Amino acid sequence: MRLKANPKKTLILAKREFLVRIKSKGFWIGTLILPLFMAVLFVVPALIFSSSTSKLDVVLVDATGRLGDEVARRLAERSDDPTRKIADFRLTVEAPQPDAEAQRAALDARLLDEDVDAWMWIDQAGLDAGRVEYRARSVSNTFSQEVLEREISAAVRKMRLTEAGYDAAAVQGLLDSISLSTVRVSAEGSREEAGEAGFLLAYGLFFLLYIVLLMWGQQVLQGVLEEKSSRVVEVVVSAARPFELMLGKLLGIGTAAFTQFSIWMVCIVAATAPGLIATVASLPEDVQLPSISPLQAAYVAIFFVLGFFVYATMYAAVGSAFNNVQEAQQLAFVPTFSIIMPMFFLLPVINDSNGALAVITSFVPILSPILMPLRIAVEIPPWWQIWLSILVTAAFVWIMVWLCARIYRTGILMYGKKPTVKELLRWLRYA
Amino acid sequence: MTPTLEMVELRKSYGKFVAVDGVSITIPPGTVFGLLGPNGAGKTTTLRMIMDIIAPDSGQILFDGRPRSREDLERIGYLPEERGLYRRMTVLEQLTFLGELHGLTAKEAKLRGTAWLERMDVGDRAERKVEELSKGQQQKVQIAGTLLHEPEVVILDEPFSGLDPINQSLFKDLLAGYKAEGRTILFSTHIMEQAEKLCDHICLISKGRAVLAGELAAIKRREGGNAYRLVASGDLDRAGEVAGVDHAVVDADGERARLFLTADAVAADVLRDLVGFLAVRDFRSEEPELEEIFVKAVQNAA
Repeated sequence: MRLKANPKKTLILAKREFLVRIKSKGFWIGTLILPLFMAVLFVVPALIFSSSTSKLDVVLVDATGRLGDEVARRLAERSDDPTRKIADFRLTVEAPQPDAEAQRAALDARLLDEDVDAWMWIDQAGLDAGRVEYRARSVSNTFSQEVLEREISAAVRKMRLTEAGYDAAAVQGLLDSISLSTVRVSAEGSREEAGEAGFLLAYGLFFLLYIVLLMWGQQVLQGVLEEKSSRVVEVVVSAARPFELMLGKLLGIGTAAFTQFSIWMVCIVAATAPGLIATVASLPEDVQLPSISPLQAAYVAIFFVLGFFVYATMYAAVGSAFNNVQEAQQLAFVPTFSIIMPMFFLLPVINDSNGALAVITSFVPILSPILMPLRIAVEIPPWWQIWLSILVTAAFVWIMVWLCARIYRTGILMYGKKPTVKELLRWLRYA
Repeated sequence: MTPTLEMVELRKSYGKFVAVDGVSITIPPGTVFGLLGPNGAGKTTTLRMIMDIIAPDSGQILFDGRPRSREDLERIGYLPEERGLYRRMTVLEQLTFLGELHGLTAKEAKLRGTAWLERMDVGDRAERKVEELSKGQQQKVQIAGTLLHEPEVVILDEPFSGLDPINQSLFKDLLAGYKAEGRTILFSTHIMEQAEKLCDHICLISKGRAVLAGELAAIKRREGGNAYRLVASGDLDRAGEVAGVDHAVVDADGERARLFLTADAVAADVLRDLVGFLAVRDFRSEEPELEEIFVKAVQNAA
């Protein structure tokens, strides 16, 4: 068998795969369901948060007499805090009564009557031990508790500083922390940019590729099995080489996948563009936006396409070796695992995007489709590395297709028989 | 010009099992060639090697005198023993695809597909998915797919097995038309009577070997030996004693017998002797059944 394919036949086969998929209901349901699912995933939590504005009724008994007002003031000042949507309070400060036990019992009774949601007790003994008592019917609202903890701590800190004779505001100013202002220097000029931008971009890319393959890997696997399970295989394979069949299949299914992907992208852009433009327009001049040049974008797109085919051929290989989906399913974890593998290298490569590990992994076809665009996004590597990586990855795809065709051809007529690993290796030598 | 198809010393084994063991066959253009033999004789493996579905271990397949190329396969229409169509395509899409795959343009393939469906009386099913068709209708689509590109050579593996009677006669008519146009038809079967009716050339295969090949009429003449049918009244039992008769088998009615003459006997001399004591009404050379020839050939080969 040769590594050459008749382009005409390949195209006819690819056209069939593409049209059959585009015309199926499943394709359009799948295309619509993901954006809907995403919308639900983002919109519903937002709705839930925005609607849960019920305030927590909290009684604060301040036995020290020096903290209650400050805590109340700080909680009231939170009006512009976005977390108020999740945790908001109605704080009542009560003075301690002579009979503490009776007062505590009365407060507990009010809790049980649902007159209040929680009550807190601040006294000197507790402060010395660094503790404030919080009693409620439910203590699982950790987010609200964190806010209370933070605000009371701040009030206590201020009180201690003042009582020790310091100017609380001045000390606060002295303790201000700093953050790194990152500047990326590249041939096109220097600009301020957040360090996470490259990482986010690569991670987003990985995530998109993962979703596309999750949905389409199975299609490739089943597509390769289709001729065998419908027994049309002899007619097709006598009219086109198995290599052409494999190539046509991958191209056709890939085109359908990218069509779906493009529809999603258009949806996402259309849905987010107005908000995004408004946000960008309202930003001050010096705000850092992640940037990639058109060249970088083109490279990233090339690797996205190559990545699809690298992992799709893994599914094709599994489909080639078996005669029905049930048997093939048992090995479907292999391609899935090979998509996840680059994840293990993500952090080291991002931290040292021109280090030895980054360079080596760029030439390992199973890793390169994820890791090379990551490097390109972080800091553009030498051009020869990019093109060598593209070459190696593309050659890998080509050889994988050939390998699949070889396994396929030998396995075609083994109806109902499951091959052993030994047989698979022998098939590669024969055929 | 219809090409000649030749197989030279084809050999294919699966592990220790030898499926085809040095088969050489020449299929002259314009013939209806029957590849005969019991199940497991190696017929399907041979046909699959011609179609490049499996590669032979050794040997050659010649098309018009030169090694068969992938392009040559477009000139062949192949109906495999394992029938099958794409389930999720409509009938017309399917035929268009198969036509394109065999070198037709999409437009031409669609036109011919439509014409074929009309001709096969399933024109109203063109836009239906294959899985919605009855078994008989699927068979029609399959036949149309095999012949759509008007191949010069038609290769059919057990073509009549599983076909319903209507499709069988439809198919036979189609093949008769093909033969009349001078195209080559090569088909395999394990049913001898079928081959006897349709073929003009045959090759008998047993255990991967070609035991007998040639023109059917010539084989019959050659393999027929010297069997004669005798219808007469009188003492037929005495016929076996006549000079030149090896032995005679008399039917139960005492009026008919089969005489097997010795190799050097002259039929006219035997008849003259028979007339001496019998009232002979009929004396003629009898053609053997293909089945008998086959059994004898296999025995001789063993």
